[in-house]
Amino acid sequence: MMALDWWTLGLQTLNVLVLLWLLSRFLLQPIAAIIAARQQSASHLLDDAATAKDEAQQIREAAEQARAEANRQRTAALQKAERDADLARRRRLQEADAEIERRRQQAQEALNTEQQMLQTAIEARAGHLALAIADRLMQRLPDSARVEGFIDGLVEGLESLPAETRRSLAQADAVLRLKAPRPLTGTEHSSCMAALRRAIKIPLEPQVIVDPTLIAGLELETEHAMVRNSLRADLARLQTEISPHDIEQS
Amino acid sequence: MTESPLLTPVLFHAGPIPISGAVVVTWLLIAVMTATSWALTRHLSLRPGKAQCILELFVETLDNQIRDTMQVPPEPYRALIGTLFLYILAANWSSLIPGIEPPTAHLETDIVLAMIVLLASIGYGMATRGIGGYLRTFAEPSWVMIPLNLVEQLTRTFSLIVRLFGNVMSGVFVLGITLSLAGLLVPIPFMALDLLTGAIQAYIFSVLAMVFLGAAIEAHPLPEPLKHKEP
Repeated sequence: MMALDWWTLGLQTLNVLVLLWLLSRFLLQPIAAIIAARQQSASHLLDDAATAKDEAQQIREAAEQARAEANRQRTAALQKAERDADLARRRRLQEADAEIERRRQQAQEALNTEQQMLQTAIEARAGHLALAIADRLMQRLPDSARVEGFIDGLVEGLESLPAETRRSLAQADAVLRLKAPRPLTGTEHSSCMAALRRAIKIPLEPQVIVDPTLIAGLELETEHAMVRNSLRADLARLQTEISPHDIEQS
Repeated sequence: MTESPLLTPVLFHAGPIPISGAVVVTWLLIAVMTATSWALTRHLSLRPGKAQCILELFVETLDNQIRDTMQVPPEPYRALIGTLFLYILAANWSSLIPGIEPPTAHLETDIVLAMIVLLASIGYGMATRGIGGYLRTFAEPSWVMIPLNLVEQLTRTFSLIVRLFGNVMSGVFVLGITLSLAGLLVPIPFMALDLLTGAIQAYIFSVLAMVFLGAAIEAHPLPEPLKHKEP
């Protein structure tokens, strides 16, 4: 015969409910809480790892940007240095070229001056040489050739003077000087006076001056005119007329 | 074991209240289970030891079972289902201790457990659907089904009682008969069979409780992240 014990039924109901609370309080809730805590901790760790990864990524990107910036600055600095060096090199070359040109001009001027001086010395020496040669050659000729052969030339020189100049020669107060390479003989003096009268149309009485540098010839000087009629004058004229170029070609 | 298993022997009286063996054994189980739980969960840490791993494995398995069976988050039902399973298992296995008669071998304890499941299904159903919504479930699929649905509530509760009571009581009864007829070692296979039967009955009772609760709240399928939630 089955019979329910209602006291047992009630007490067991109370017991099961108490056990439900106790197990929930001391077993199931703590275990579930620690599982949740571990999951949360793992989630935090994953989040921290993701954050650290992002930060590392940002740091790496920043480092790459800094490296790229450094490379860019280095390249810019190199380019600037190359430009500066190129400018400095060009400036130095220009300065060197200018210095070279200046020195070349100085050298050219010095060379020209030296050549000019040399040319002058050569010409002077040539003149002296020509005078010496002419003097030596004239010594082979008769002594009368130094004067007589130049009387006609003196007349021609006087006649080529302007008329006004010839009239001034004829004035009474005019001072005439007749240069000869040696003292004139009486015949030569007469011939010269006759030639002067023939050219000026009036008798003249010039002062005779001996000038051996004439070599040969007769020259007349006044205050307003001069008639060159000598070997020295001819040589001087020839020396002037003959250029250095003609000398080189010859 | 000469007394009828259908009777509940009274050990002593506390005043006017008769205290049966099932109640005393239940008190002992409560004390042991509470003390063990307190001892095991005193020093829980994020880096678990072996005991904590076993406990967490049990809770995770329980949660997964609730999630798979009821298709709902397991937190509101974990305490009820877990307590039912642990108490029935401990009660069934208490028969291995000489002189101890399992509380589940007495009808009062099984009635209490089944009634708790019935009331819990009603309570969770009303909390989830509302009173009107829960009552309307008795008229599904048609109002003609109202008597049958009411009878179903009673019969499945009764089936819970009878299934647990019959299996445990029969095991105790067979073990008593065997002990009275044979020697010391002969009942050992039956005791091992009792272990298996006790564990299976605890699991079946818990699963059926989950099924009844799930039917009462008419759970919908969980989204994938919750359904396959792993520890």
